[in-house]
Amino acid sequence: MKKTILIIEDEKDLRFFLKTALSQEGYEVKEAFDAEEGFEKLKEKKPDLILLDILLPGKSGFDFLTQIKADPNFESIPVLILSNYGRQEDIEKGLKLGAVDYLIKANFTLEEIVQKVKKILKP
Amino acid sequence: MNQEKFLSIFNTLTDGILVFDAKRKLSLINTSAKKFLNVKENEVLGKSIKELSDHPTLKFLYYILGEEIREVEKRELELKKNDLILEVTSLSLPFGEKLVILHDISREKRVERLKTEFISVTAHQLRTPLASMKWALEILSKENLKDASKQMIEKLKEANKKMLQLVNELLNVLKIEEGKSQLRLEKANIEDLIKEVIENYTLLLEEKKLQFQVKFPSKKLPKIRIDKNKISFVVQTLLENAISYTPPGGEIYLNLEFLGNEVKFSIRDTGVGIKKEEQKYIFQKFFRGSGAKKMKTEGSGLALYMAKKIIEAHGGKIWFQSEEGKGTTFYFTLPLK
Repeated sequence: MKKTILIIEDEKDLRFFLKTALSQEGYEVKEAFDAEEGFEKLKEKKPDLILLDILLPGKSGFDFLTQIKADPNFESIPVLILSNYGRQEDIEKGLKLGAVDYLIKANFTLEEIVQKVKKILKP
Repeated sequence: MNQEKFLSIFNTLTDGILVFDAKRKLSLINTSAKKFLNVKENEVLGKSIKELSDHPTLKFLYYILGEEIREVEKRELELKKNDLILEVTSLSLPFGEKLVILHDISREKRVERLKTEFISVTAHQLRTPLASMKWALEILSKENLKDASKQMIEKLKEANKKMLQLVNELLNVLKIEEGKSQLRLEKANIEDLIKEVIENYTLLLEEKKLQFQVKFPSKKLPKIRIDKNKISFVVQTLLENAISYTPPGGEIYLNLEFLGNEVKFSIRDTGVGIKKEEQKYIFQKFFRGSGAKKMKTEGSGLALYMAKKIIEAHGGKIWFQSEEGKGTTFYFTLPLK
């Protein structure tokens, strides 16, 4: 069965590229513009993985992460943070809140991100 | 000049001035110093700095100068409560007195912080469109394209990569300047760390037909407390520079020595060397020597600047010797404790 990935990212272009690369790998991709919409999509269909941006309009990615990790329905979903703000303290915070990894978007190719995703979703 | 005249001048100076007599008692303090330190003359005159060391502002001055009022040059003193940043200099006067000068640099510091913040925000913001370009090019390059188009895309990718590198380096420099880049010290074997770095360059060394010789101490080195990533970066920078600035067929010697209370790393090349008049700028931010043009190397001129900060933060030293046309040797030491 196709695995589902939810992308929460406010930059339309970046969302589009991620979606393109992940769809080509056979994943079903859902998109959300902010944390709010992220929650809605989460409730529609539970994804197998979430790609999460940190600087979002309104609630931050950290807030989103905290909330789903406190929710027994969703806490088991792996979350991969993709952000361009990557100060040491941010990275530590993200990992402490339970993210699988924290990647600086601009420093990774789509290919590398896809590989990370595959590794996390490996049965 | 009579005393009254002298005092009126003394008290109009914008720098704060304190004079300690031969017995290290405060004998003179001007208006600016009183204002900076938030003290009244009758509270402090005739006292030693140690006697004043529980005062909310003077205690910081005590930490810097000590009981003996040691000589310091432009040491930064931040008085958070008074929203002040001072530069402290102290010197000996004839007849055994000590003169302490407090120079207000709060404004400069504020401007500097704004500048740092501005660059940091801009650099971070740039990452988003740069990521966009990077990913778009990646997708494009998988399409069936004419050779000419492919070549252009490769060029764009290169340009994009350079911009990202610059952004990352700028952010690293800012981190170091803000003092945010704390060292993550852990016990590590420096020999292993150097070997790991070298491994990444074996291909390049072969390609450039460079002779490469490594010498490690015969005795196993004790582990030392270092920030592995940062020291790796320094070794990598020095090795990369040696490779870049040595023409094909040249030689590079890497040497690690154990000197009892420190380890000494050196890397010597038979490359183009550094011009004498450029040598004093080598560790400066954004400086790139004329050798860079000659060897067509690329870079931002930040790596050696960062290397110096990193080694000094470890309590070590970094320096070099170079002769134009003959080659360069870079050294650094790291204390064992």
